[in-house]
Amino acid sequence: MNTLLAVDAEGVSKSFGHVRAVVDVSLQVAPGEVYGVLGPNGAGKTTLLRMLFGLIRPDAGTMRIFGRTWGEAGVHTLDGVAGFIESPRFYPYLTGRQNLRGLAALDGGDSADRIEEVLDVVDMTARADRKVGGYSYGMRQRLGVAASLLRQPELLVLDEPANGLDPAGIRDMRALVRRLAGSGLTVLLSSHHMDEVEEICDNVTIMSRGNVSFHGSIADLRAMAPEPGHVLHTSADTDAVAIARQHPGVDVTPDSDGRLRVVGQERLVSAYVAAVVKAGIDLRTFAATETPLEALFFMLTDDEDAVEGPRTTREEAAVR
Amino acid sequence: MSAVTVETPPGATRSTRRPAASPSLLAALRWEVRKLGAQYRARAVLLGALLGPIPVVAVIHAQSRAPKDTLFGRYATTNGFSLALLILGFACQWILPLLTAVVAGDIFASEDQHGTWKTVLTRSASRAKLFWAKSIAAAGFAVLMVVILAGSTVAASVLIGGHQPLVGVSGQLIGAHEALRLVLASWATTLAPTLGFTCLAILLSIATRNPAAGIATPVVLGMVMQLVGALGGIEAVRPLLLTTPYESWHGLLASPRFTGPLVQGLVVSGVWSLVALIAGFVMLRRRDITGG
Repeated sequence: MNTLLAVDAEGVSKSFGHVRAVVDVSLQVAPGEVYGVLGPNGAGKTTLLRMLFGLIRPDAGTMRIFGRTWGEAGVHTLDGVAGFIESPRFYPYLTGRQNLRGLAALDGGDSADRIEEVLDVVDMTARADRKVGGYSYGMRQRLGVAASLLRQPELLVLDEPANGLDPAGIRDMRALVRRLAGSGLTVLLSSHHMDEVEEICDNVTIMSRGNVSFHGSIADLRAMAPEPGHVLHTSADTDAVAIARQHPGVDVTPDSDGRLRVVGQERLVSAYVAAVVKAGIDLRTFAATETPLEALFFMLTDDEDAVEGPRTTREEAAVR
Repeated sequence: MSAVTVETPPGATRSTRRPAASPSLLAALRWEVRKLGAQYRARAVLLGALLGPIPVVAVIHAQSRAPKDTLFGRYATTNGFSLALLILGFACQWILPLLTAVVAGDIFASEDQHGTWKTVLTRSASRAKLFWAKSIAAAGFAVLMVVILAGSTVAASVLIGGHQPLVGVSGQLIGAHEALRLVLASWATTLAPTLGFTCLAILLSIATRNPAAGIATPVVLGMVMQLVGALGGIEAVRPLLLTTPYESWHGLLASPRFTGPLVQGLVVSGVWSLVALIAGFVMLRRRDITGG
């Protein structure tokens, strides 16, 4: 039996003017996999996904979806593929249900028969007859997922699905994505939140300034993660730094905000903080700065050398 | 290259999905018509085309002095057919280009305005299919608008102004029955240049990605063409302007009747339409959709 990857991008590049938005990116997503594309804003994630959907033509490289390319299969490249890029957009003067009906018409086949079912999945049945112009951001996101599910996709591509949502909306959206991923769908998820990708994805590509900074499994990424970091502010920071010298494995350095940055294994850091308290020093602040994976993410994406020059507003919009 | 290939998990298999059904052009067209029907401005244009002529006809008919310096103005206050032709001349100046551009100039650019290109282009309809569905919808709207405007104007003019025999361009008297036929035929001749302006508005809608520019620019271009057409010494250029076919109906009301400008107007309108549609199609096909 032949093996076909859900997504097989090979050496894909795209420039807007003098800005190289995506530079020689390759990634492979196997069927059934939940795959994350991670990177800060402007990393080129959205440009990559737009190329996947055929909205943007790559300058170089090949993009295959279930073995099909845009050059050979045209719009049939998207058979079995659904999703949305950035925030989903709809016609504001139509209701949610009317929008779905129209999109089902553009799908052909029997998509229209599933409208009620997908509205139910995203819990939008009660609000489906309201005009989309009056929808909240979260409601539009959910309608976007519903519109994607109409196509009964094998590959679901979601570009920052939790972006712009309130905490409850983020929780609900992540639960929905987890549920969809658990149903056996191949999911390609872009995000700039490490925790979101860590929670849901099997493999990840981390992008920065159009380049791939890391490509591998979440387990590999965890193995590369640095020690957790903490911020510490005490009534006597100088004494606290002196105490650190007696605690090998704990690195304490003053940061630019006048506080102390504490890096080390959790166990050693806990012992160090206990020693500080025991020395009669008051703790004013002690908090984790970022998770180890977040710290790694920042290390991988804070590559200022990759800056190729100032971007115009239009180029920035294009490279989101 | 910095990428590393991730191993394909065991069990990864060829997709068993059959090619999805593509929507027919008719399905895409139906969707465009449904959207137009839901838009306030499209409904307002049709309503305006239906009701607008009635007060205009009433006001002109009530004038004590006829606008004698205008074609068919001399008898406009006493003859319904003259009145309908006077309004036709006025409509050709900028009303028809404007009314058709309200929809055609917006139909592509509104996708940019709402950021919905990425929504519709990630379904199963190709760009070509969407282009033709939108273009046919805009052209259909233009035809409907002209028919409603013509029907309303002629009916209001005849009902208010009467249906006495019409004095033609050459001073000949045309019987009521023949006059009605010629007046309707005269209005029908505006279809070709109006469709030309529709295609021009479609091109501008695609090129500018801005509904306001898509609507206003064809009207401004029409006015510039009329201005250029009024200049002396450019006889060779004048027949090529898209506004010139709007005058081709004059020959229908002359004696002897001449139809040369009609044929020429059809060809000129056809060429303008074709060039605008081809340019718009190529532009849309090649475009990177980065917004929305």
